[in-house]
Formats: sequence, C-alpha cells, structure tokens
Amino acid sequence: MSRLLQINDLKVHFPVRTGRFGGSQSVVKAVDGVTISIDENETVAIVGESGCGKSTMGNAVLGLAPVTAGRIEFQGQDLASMDAAGRRQVWRDLQVVFQDPVSALNPRRTIAESIAEPLQIHGYERVQIKARVDELMDLVGLNPDQRDRRPGALSGGQRQRVVIARALALSPKLIICDEPVSALDVSIQSQILNLLMRLQRELGLSYLFIAHDLSVVRHIADRVAVMYLGMVVEEGPAATVFANPVHPYTEALLSAIPLPDPSLRHTRKRIVLEGDLPSPMNPPAGCPFVTRCPIAEPACGDARPPLEQVSSMHFVRCRVRVPEAVSERT
Amino acid sequence: MSLLAIDDLAIGAGELSLVDGVSLSVEPGEVVALVGESGSGKSLTALSIMGLLADGLQRQRGSIHFDGGDLTQLDDEQLRSLRGSELAMIFQEPVSSLNPLAPVGDQVAESLIVHGRASVVDANRQAVDMLRRVGIPEPERRARQLPTELSGGMCQRVMIAAALISRPRLLIADEPTTALDVTIQAQILALMSELAEEANTAILLITHDMGVVAELADKVCVMYGGRVVEQGPVEALFATPRHPYTSMLLKTIPRLDEEPKQELFAIKGNVPSPHDWPAGCRFRTRCDRATEQCAERPVMSGQIHRVACHHALGGNP
Repeated sequence: MSRLLQINDLKVHFPVRTGRFGGSQSVVKAVDGVTISIDENETVAIVGESGCGKSTMGNAVLGLAPVTAGRIEFQGQDLASMDAAGRRQVWRDLQVVFQDPVSALNPRRTIAESIAEPLQIHGYERVQIKARVDELMDLVGLNPDQRDRRPGALSGGQRQRVVIARALALSPKLIICDEPVSALDVSIQSQILNLLMRLQRELGLSYLFIAHDLSVVRHIADRVAVMYLGMVVEEGPAATVFANPVHPYTEALLSAIPLPDPSLRHTRKRIVLEGDLPSPMNPPAGCPFVTRCPIAEPACGDARPPLEQVSSMHFVRCRVRVPEAVSERT
Repeated sequence: MSLLAIDDLAIGAGELSLVDGVSLSVEPGEVVALVGESGSGKSLTALSIMGLLADGLQRQRGSIHFDGGDLTQLDDEQLRSLRGSELAMIFQEPVSSLNPLAPVGDQVAESLIVHGRASVVDANRQAVDMLRRVGIPEPERRARQLPTELSGGMCQRVMIAAALISRPRLLIADEPTTALDVTIQAQILALMSELAEEANTAILLITHDMGVVAELADKVCVMYGGRVVEQGPVEALFATPRHPYTSMLLKTIPRLDEEPKQELFAIKGNVPSPHDWPAGCRFRTRCDRATEQCAERPVMSGQIHRVACHHALGGNP
C-alpha cells in the first residue's frame, strides 16, 4: 500500500481578540502538533469531543483552515508549495462530505446540476457530463428519474447520497468525511455507512473519517486517532484501540458509549469524567488531559508527554501509563 | 393510579394527521422512554402534555390525565401553575432554551419566585444549592454568570437544575443529551437517574438513541409514523422485540462486539413524511413481513409487552 496523505506536526492556531474592548490578543491552538498518515484504500478515523480540533484538521487538509506550522503532503507533494495546476489536480483527488446535507446542497439547483458542478468546473463536455451524472446516481443508489428534483423534495438520506455522488464525480482518491451520518435518522445511518464501505471496496477509496460516534468508527475504520485539545493522545489499529485502550481518556470515552443492551446497565464499569473540556485558549500546562484525568499525578502538569509506541502501530501520549517514555525524550 | 395517562391522543395540522391515537402511562418514579425517528410524533406528544403545541397544531382527540385530572380541560392559567411546579421540561438545545441576558442563577430560581414558593433571597440560595447538586463547580460564582459564559454541558445542567428545583413529579426530557459529547452525556444521564430516584420524580424521556434508552428507561414506547407501534419493559423490548420496526432498528446499530467492516443491516426506503404515510400499518412499505392484511390498521394487543402488528415476531398473543 502506498502513502496517500502524510500530515506532519500540523499546527493550526487562530488569533482571537479578548478583553473588554478586544484590546488583548490570545491564541486558540485548535490543532497543536498532529502527525497522521493515510494509505491507499484505508479508512483512518479521527475521534474526539467537540472542540478537540478534529474538524479543523480536516479543514486544514482541504485548505479551508490556515496552516500555522507543519506539513501536509498529498501523494508525496507538499500542498503549501504547490502551484495552481498542481492544486487543481489535488482538488480532483481530494473531496469532502460534510455532516449536514441540507446546507451542503444549493436548494435552487436540481440534483443533476449539483452533481454535475465539479465536472463543469473541470471542463467536461455536456454529453460526458450527462452520462457521468447518470452513472454516479446509479452508483450511490439514486434513481436517475430523480435527476430533476430539488433537494427539498428528498429525504435526508437521499440528500446525503447526492452529496456523496458529487464528491465522487471526479474520481477522487481520498474523501474527507466530516460526521457524514450524524445528522441522519437512525434507520438511514446504516444505509449510508454500507454505501461508503461498498464504494471503498469498488473504487479503492481512502477515507479520513471524522466522527464522534464510536460504535460507527469501530465498524468502519482501519485505524483510529483519538484527539483531545488539539493533540492526538492515542493512535492505532481500530481493533487494538477499542479492545485495549491505553490512554485514560480513550478508556473514559469508550466506557461512556451508551450500549443498546439494558442487561449491561448494572454490570458495566463506567468511568464518568469530572468537569468539562478546558478552553483551547487556555489549555493546561503539561498533559492536555490532566484537569479531568482520574489517574493524574502531580508531575503530569509539568511537561507534555510524547506520543510513545506501546505495541506495533499503537501510540499513546501518557506518562503514567507509558512511564518509560518520560526519561527518553522531552 | 398512573401519574400520567395519555389515552388515544391525536394531533394534527388542519387535515394533516401528525400523531394518531397515542396511549401511554407513566407511574410515579418511573422512567419511560418515547423512542422514534424524525416525524414520528414523539416531541409533539411531549409538547401537548405541557400544553405547548405551536400555533396551527391542534389536539384532535384524546385525553391526558395527570394525577387524576385531565390536562386538556385546564385553562391557560391552571396549566401555567402546573408547569414549573408539578410538571417540568428540558429541551435538546440548552443554549437556545436559556435566556441569554439573565444570570443562570436567576433562571434556576425563577420558577420558585413566580409560583410564590420562596422569597427572592431564599430562592437564590436554593438555586445555588441546586447548581451544586447538579455538579456545577463554584456554584456561587457560576450563578451570576450568563449562559454564554458556560459550556453546553454546563448549560444543560443549569436547565436540569431549573427543572428540578421545584421538585416536579414529572420531568419531560426531550433529547436531553443529543447535543452533548459522550463523556458529558454520561454525566448527565447518571445525574438524571440519581435525581429521579432521590426525589421519586418520574421521567418521560424523548429520544432517538436506543443506547440512551437502554441506559436509563424502565419502560419503552416505540413510535413510528405518529403511532405507538410497540411498548413494554425495557429488558423485554430489547431482548425480544415484537414489532418488525423495533427489531430492525435494533439490528441497524453497529455493535461493539460484532465483526467490523461487514455490511450493516439496513432498513430499506426512507422515513416517510406525514404526507406520504400509507394506509393501514405505516411501516408496511419498508417491512419485509408485510402482506395484504397490513393495509388494515393493526390494533395494539398484549398485556405488559404490547405490539400493533399483524405479523408480530413471536406470534400474536
């Protein structure tokens, strides 16, 4: 398998004005040193709670958020130093599906017009476009009879199929899926997940899958990265991370999933975290999780622990659980 | 006698039927979940209990008995005196449900003052107490802050504090954790069940999340297309669902103990809008057990675990 996307030490910092008259400035470190890679035909999920920086990271890859520091390489080429022609090629290979299909579609355009838009921008002929739109609608399970309908006449699941068809129009290699099923009804979510998995098998796609629903992530992802306050705290093969979480935040996150089985209610051990996510404007010194961590020690507030390997392909940022890490690097 | 007994409730907008013959009951101290997807009528059912249906929506028939009295026969004044004392409700969006210009402590204290149950000073003291009990750190300082200064999870705690301060006998919680992150959701669910147990408050929990139902509910009512299709004790409903919709809905959820990457079970078709509900059983267009008989409306049958289906799983009683 070859490397498709390589993100190295990515930082996205936003300056914000604070103080009564906006006189003072501080910095929100939305993404603060993330390294992650995606291979061909692979699904990498980024999980974490709101404010952890998972969507900002996706946006940075798409060029929708400013990169403060670090490098994003797509098929070996640095996105930042690319010329206009190179960028145009990258936008063909890199597409996005957002959470809310209602706001992602122009309500005045027909479905066929929406799906055709990327093809028009990239200079396809009219005849080619019609054939391709029919093919795409068929691929995502929409009836070509619906081509002249507008989004308002469709259900939420059908709209998300339109958004996926549009993302597939230029035969991309990587699709960034930002919460692609969380706005859909429960009975529709599995339809869309099945569609995404089938498209991956048939077209060899890779997904950067950003989600907060861990049952969905476990089902669809090959690898998973858990983010907290702009940092990856644990990363590894999905099966390993879900079966043997090492970071206390991952443990708490997994134990908080409400399971659809009432018989487990009294037997299941649940780690209820105290308090809220600290403000990313004023993150704690040292380990980002120190303020809510059930196993924190005084020294955890001293320095940010490094991401250390605990087993093959499995990395954890915790000086209590991975103590040998402390003496080695900073 | 049940604390809340809804019988044959129907709600519509003019000709359009939105809720069609819902019956359910809630006993004191019990947690009853009303589960359904968008358009199933679960939120309208809850709003009609509070007398808060939007303009243009009418209750077309049915009764809602609370503590023996019919809520539908009360005038606005009588309803208002029940709301915020005996009956309380919390909503999905804590941030938009709170007044952005009033300190949260005042909003928690408000119902006590409005109903004349405490002096301003005493109500404020109780509000700070309540904020502490729902787990807000530094409640004295937080009480003076505006909702915008608090996180979403904290705002939801404020809403719960405001709803519970008057020790209501029934709390209606409409998707109380849907807008929250899972670790905060776990805190709020634990808090709700603890407080309900302590004060013997009954909860009508409106949700689409079967996981939340399994965590919190004693009894479940599953709604589809404006009707209750199945109801029963939570263990029985999850272990042996009788309605094909309930059974399929449970099967669509990715489980943590199954083989990943496999095709998930999917219910065919889309959630129909009220304009497109078929005659007879409203699930029949998506159901793999449907026959011609399903063009006829199925009636609810069974004793404790009840189902409305001509071809119920496990046979009809």
